[in-house]
Amino acid sequence: MQARSRSPLRSAGWWGFAFAMPAILLFLAFSLWPILNTFYLSLFKYDLLTPKEWVGVRNFARLPADQVFLRSLKATAVYVLGTYIPVWGISLALAMALNAKIKLRGLLRTLYFIPPMMSMVVVSVIWKLMFHHDGLLNTMLMQPLLGHPVDWLTDERWAPVAIILMSIWKETGFYMVVFLAGLQSISSQLYEAARIDGAGGWALFRHITLPMLKPTFAFVTIISLIQGLQAFIPQWVMADGGPNGATTSIALLIYRMAFVWLKMGPAAAVAVILFVLVGAVTLIQWRLQRAAS
Amino acid sequence: MRNQIRERIGLLLLYLVLIAGAVIVITPLLYAFATSLKTSAEVFAVPVRWLPTVAHFDNYPAALKQGPFGRYFFNSLFVATGVTLLNLLTCSLAGYSFAKHRYHGRDILFGFVLATMMVPIASMVIPLFLVVKAAGWLNSYWGLIIPAGTSALGIFLMRQNILAIPDDLIAAARIDGCGELAIYWRIVLPLIGPALSSLAIFIFMWNWDSFLWPMVVATRDQYWTLPIGIAGFESSYGTNYPQMMAVANMAMAPVLVVFFILQRNFIEAMALSGIKE
Repeated sequence: MQARSRSPLRSAGWWGFAFAMPAILLFLAFSLWPILNTFYLSLFKYDLLTPKEWVGVRNFARLPADQVFLRSLKATAVYVLGTYIPVWGISLALAMALNAKIKLRGLLRTLYFIPPMMSMVVVSVIWKLMFHHDGLLNTMLMQPLLGHPVDWLTDERWAPVAIILMSIWKETGFYMVVFLAGLQSISSQLYEAARIDGAGGWALFRHITLPMLKPTFAFVTIISLIQGLQAFIPQWVMADGGPNGATTSIALLIYRMAFVWLKMGPAAAVAVILFVLVGAVTLIQWRLQRAAS
Repeated sequence: MRNQIRERIGLLLLYLVLIAGAVIVITPLLYAFATSLKTSAEVFAVPVRWLPTVAHFDNYPAALKQGPFGRYFFNSLFVATGVTLLNLLTCSLAGYSFAKHRYHGRDILFGFVLATMMVPIASMVIPLFLVVKAAGWLNSYWGLIIPAGTSALGIFLMRQNILAIPDDLIAAARIDGCGELAIYWRIVLPLIGPALSSLAIFIFMWNWDSFLWPMVVATRDQYWTLPIGIAGFESSYGTNYPQMMAVANMAMAPVLVVFFILQRNFIEAMALSGIKE
């Protein structure tokens, strides 16, 4: 037994444990500890300056009647659905087009990939100019279409639309590349066999492309939902969360509550809600995926 | 004959859609570039002026005078580089551990790592701020770099790649008396070179653009990263559109240059996360 515990494999086991430790310790200190503390803090009243005061679940009990919070839920839902449903469709279509053997394929692929490469802050700043009252979108598009300019970023009805349009522009290229990778992993023999059996374009798409892309869809939906639920940079830079809270996403609200209004407790309560939302989305997705396979 | 015509029309439509898409992608960038060379009066001239009458390149040095952009640029570069190096080390070590070592609790640890992937930063930013504050790391490079020192996706990618290394290779090295650290350094790392470079690109890009965390940690502008510097410029000088766009273009330029040089690796790095899933 003595000899066994000194066998190469066993001692290598200790090394293996040690190799994982730098990462694990970082996660413990900067992920697990903070998230547990978010739950803990959500039960207190705390403004950084005076000592914490226990309030139990009061921070949560107030949320259902809190108009600012409810509006941020709505703003986030509108943003996520408004952005990603079009993004999924457009990026899949572009990927299929670029998967065909056409000229300029490499150039187009590179072009479409520029926006996802760019900094979100830089993109937001550029689009703020596009959406200016006398900017390109009004003079070239809205004026001819509607006959009048639109107050993109200062009108409650249009500000969410503006942010969604910008995000579609920014995000589509990334998901296009992911779909393209998925499409390229489908064997061309599958298509040839089906074509010999007389399948047309739509049938090929419906019965080969879509089913074979299932793992890609799973990845795309989960990543986009997780990202979308956390978005706040364009909302902040382009519209400052306004007008009238129409673009204050949950993540932006958490930042405001914590670091501007110094309401750490209620902010932590909203952070818990965000955590639960993302967790729920992940779990549902995981379940669906397991049920499908 | 009829089929050929239909195919031709289909192809034409395909090109039209693809080119329309490319125009939509490129227009805001060209607009930003043209605006950066205009005078303030020309920006919203009616009818639309696509190009300035005289190219005012002096908007660029003038914009740079409005804030310590060299400092922001250095901060972004330094922080993103530090975070990337730290990630290459911690992720490859942990990936090696999870792929090739057997010990109690390994799978639990790996599960824990994957679970951290779904925790939104906004959900932990408040206590994270308190932890970093307690450590005395507010307004320091430590506070900007260390908390981002590892990533679950990175560990996952490393593990997937290291799994493909044959066990026999590692066992043989052990029998030859190669130490564990030497195996990691001389055998494992060289074999996952391409995956390491993809990971480096990924992590660098994320952190070059990271915003929320530096915003919370760096309350003094001495430690601001470029995105925060730009947002700060926007809120004070944002209505000076030519200068604002000059700043935006300068921030964008290095990323685009690196992208065009390394575009194959970039796109593969992105796709990697999708294929390996």
